[in-house]
Amino acid sequence: MSENQDEKLETMLRSRRVEPASHDLASRIILKAQSLPQVQNISLWNAVRQLFAEFHLPKPGYVLASALVLGMMVGFSTAPENGQSGDASSTTAQSYLAGDEGLL
Amino acid sequence: MPAPWPEKDDHELLALVQDGSHPAFAELVKRHTERFYRLAFRYLQNKEAAEDVVQDAFLKLWEDPGKWQADRNTKFTTWFYRVVVNLCLDWQKRKRPVELNEEMPLADERETADQAMLRNEEQRVFEKEIAALPERQRTALNLCFDEGLSNQDAADAMGVKLKALQSLIMRAKTTLKERMKTYL
Repeated sequence: MSENQDEKLETMLRSRRVEPASHDLASRIILKAQSLPQVQNISLWNAVRQLFAEFHLPKPGYVLASALVLGMMVGFSTAPENGQSGDASSTTAQSYLAGDEGLL
Repeated sequence: MPAPWPEKDDHELLALVQDGSHPAFAELVKRHTERFYRLAFRYLQNKEAAEDVVQDAFLKLWEDPGKWQADRNTKFTTWFYRVVVNLCLDWQKRKRPVELNEEMPLADERETADQAMLRNEEQRVFEKEIAALPERQRTALNLCFDEGLSNQDAADAMGVKLKALQSLIMRAKTTLKERMKTYL
């Protein structure tokens, strides 16, 4: 009995009535899309290219900007080392002075 | 020579749609409108509403094709099923439930008037009971009993594991069997 019920339920689920769509549904969608603009999704690379295109910098300008950026990068990357050596030299000077105080 | 539109697969067409190709979009619409309409109709039981939802889904895709990302490793249809289901649910939340059509067309013209009337009534009650199921159970049924969609595809479309989907279907069937006792 239960198997029959299961089978009948399956049949009913598989044979659910669907009213046919209008024959021109697809063409209506296509037509409507023709009047709609697309959202422009700009990738990072395209955004950079557009930015460069906007400014129209001459070639020496790019060289100068690149040198500036490179210089800043080198400067930032070496800054902590200078700081450490500065600390080290002040420590040495302090110990030297402390030695002098000991003599006095 | 580039392949003609019907020979291109969905992902190739979508890449072209992302470049603004109207013919590629047209091919995609012609290829899939019918199946997504069937799904929407099963949810909404209303032709105009189902057509509106399908149109809305495709136009959203056209306007912002970047929403579809091929690298997600999901089939276009699986992803789009989810889009259509979400639009159907939104539609149902916004509008009051559609009254099921009392005058459903006859399923088979050879049936006698009495048989047809009984069958009509049975279908009407059945659709009403399906509409009363919890949302996820209804979605599982609508996706799984849509021709050509495997259980795994349906599970992917719902974003659940296969076992969870099977459990949803099982519960839906148990409920329906109970509520449709007099017709089974």
